[in-house]
Amino acid sequence: MASGTHAFDDFPARPLGRRYGLGSKHMWTRNRFPFLWLMPVLLPVLLFIGVPVAHAFWTSLHQVMLLFPGEPFVGLDNYARVLDTNYFRTAMWNSVWFMVLAAPLVVAIGTAIAHFLQSRFAGSTIIRSVVLLPWVLPGAISAVLWIWVFHPSFGIINGLLKQIGAIDASIQWLNSPDLAFYCVLIAHVWTQIPFAVILVMAALAAINGETIEAATIDCRSGWRRFRYIVFPEIKAMIVVLVVYNALVAFTTYDLVYAMTGGGPGTATTLLAFQIWRESFAMYDFGAGAALAFIMVVVAAALIVAITRALPSDLFGERPS
Amino acid sequence: MSWRRRRPMSTFLISALIFAFAGGPVLLALYGSVVPDRVLLSPERSVFSEGISLENYRYIFTGQLPASYEVEGAQRSMISEAARQVPRSLWNSARIAAAAMVLNIVLGAPAAYFFARYAFPGKRMSFMFIILSPLVPTAALVVPVYLIMQQLGLIGSVWGIILVHTAQALPFTVLILSVFFRRLPAELFEAAILDRCNAFQSFVRIALPLALPSIGATGLFAFMLSYSEYMFALVLSGEASSRPVSVVMAALARNTDVSWSLLNTGIFIAIIPTLILVVLVWRFVVEGLVSGSVKG
Repeated sequence: MASGTHAFDDFPARPLGRRYGLGSKHMWTRNRFPFLWLMPVLLPVLLFIGVPVAHAFWTSLHQVMLLFPGEPFVGLDNYARVLDTNYFRTAMWNSVWFMVLAAPLVVAIGTAIAHFLQSRFAGSTIIRSVVLLPWVLPGAISAVLWIWVFHPSFGIINGLLKQIGAIDASIQWLNSPDLAFYCVLIAHVWTQIPFAVILVMAALAAINGETIEAATIDCRSGWRRFRYIVFPEIKAMIVVLVVYNALVAFTTYDLVYAMTGGGPGTATTLLAFQIWRESFAMYDFGAGAALAFIMVVVAAALIVAITRALPSDLFGERPS
Repeated sequence: MSWRRRRPMSTFLISALIFAFAGGPVLLALYGSVVPDRVLLSPERSVFSEGISLENYRYIFTGQLPASYEVEGAQRSMISEAARQVPRSLWNSARIAAAAMVLNIVLGAPAAYFFARYAFPGKRMSFMFIILSPLVPTAALVVPVYLIMQQLGLIGSVWGIILVHTAQALPFTVLILSVFFRRLPAELFEAAILDRCNAFQSFVRIALPLALPSIGATGLFAFMLSYSEYMFALVLSGEASSRPVSVVMAALARNTDVSWSLLNTGIFIAIIPTLILVVLVWRFVVEGLVSGSVKG
């Protein structure tokens, strides 16, 4: 009863909201066991993510190659070496561009679908289930499905385009440096939408029904109602989703690997794929780890920028 | 509660569009799994003239080769033994993902609640630590994680994969759940304090039941993250019989010799169990959401 015993000491002196809300110092002094609550999360994250990260950081400062025994300290050599390659610049540009396109697309489409599915109509249950389909598939499977869709000879897209007479010759979707990137992007967006839909739907369902009823009377236009009434209520969730999707797009790996293998040329070589290539194709683990930490710095900077650009009350002082 | 009035025509069109985009590729896999390659790859033949065949399904479950590969000179390499591992790998994946889901909820929910409702020294730092830890690309962590699991003697056991997947999903579980917990009205918890509930009691008796749909959705997320994770599953799983479905399917997909219809059959079999699970849990989650138990 750590929090109960002193709860009434200064009872009428302050408004309740201030005394027990987030940011109130009084609440904290009474709960002396943050560790018990946080340990179950901090411990596994520390052991299975924190320690490996530290190990990878050590690797990035040493020359760790399979072919050369001994692991001498080389300082920032690995970093300098990685930054100097053309591969890095291409992969960096691809990854940033991929993220800039993918994250807003996923969140915008996801929000639109969630908003659409909020009301019931004949068959809405079926559509709600079908929307989740891409979510249940491992990346390798999604990749095969989309290779099949984009297949130059037997794919459905070329088939349809030929049927309506839009094209005569097959378009080499995944073999053309210009198109492959956007094909992978479409497949990636496809795999990420269900999660966005679920979370936005949950956030929409949590909105007070009276707010919506009042809005229905006040705002005739559906778009204005969404912009001024619904959107502020789900903004915190949208910010979380944008950050999460930016991260996923920036670190995605298996879809690209299985769909194009980074090619044609370097058209779809993303940074995460480049790490894999440095480490497991060239057996230069030091360079791979150095690249990973360059990526972490860039990703952290991008996330800070995103959270600045889209202020939310997530880290605010008071519960909403 | 009606959000807006719509015309049935536009509702139908938008539904059809969503259906085609989300379900289209999966329907193509279903189609590909019931017609043989010679129909799939030939523009003159179609499923209407040749009829459907379940030979590939029969092969995966019983090992009996499709008739067209029994004839002399057939390309035997197009039939891969790896396809026969699919049913067993589904069971492995289901166990791993279910365990990761339960661990995520049990470990993550209290911490999320604590972050949402309490201020304490080091809050921002520990939150940042949890949220930023998934920033590091997994490709760089494969070797260190392998070494740790080797120390713990968990290579080739499902527990190694379960632990890594749990740790990978926990940051997101905490982040998402704390957003939900913050939306619960503060008055409820003030009332609980007046009733002399301690922090743990108000968590178990008030926050948990109210946030149950959200917890269900978050647990589902952890399940899916584990189910589709590939790299750690590949490194930590040992022999063929203990591999999860993502590893088996990737091996099958990279094998360029394999017949398209066999590949599609494997894909479709791999989809079915999770499909059932998602529909079931989705029903439960959506009903909880729509019935308004979390209205703020």
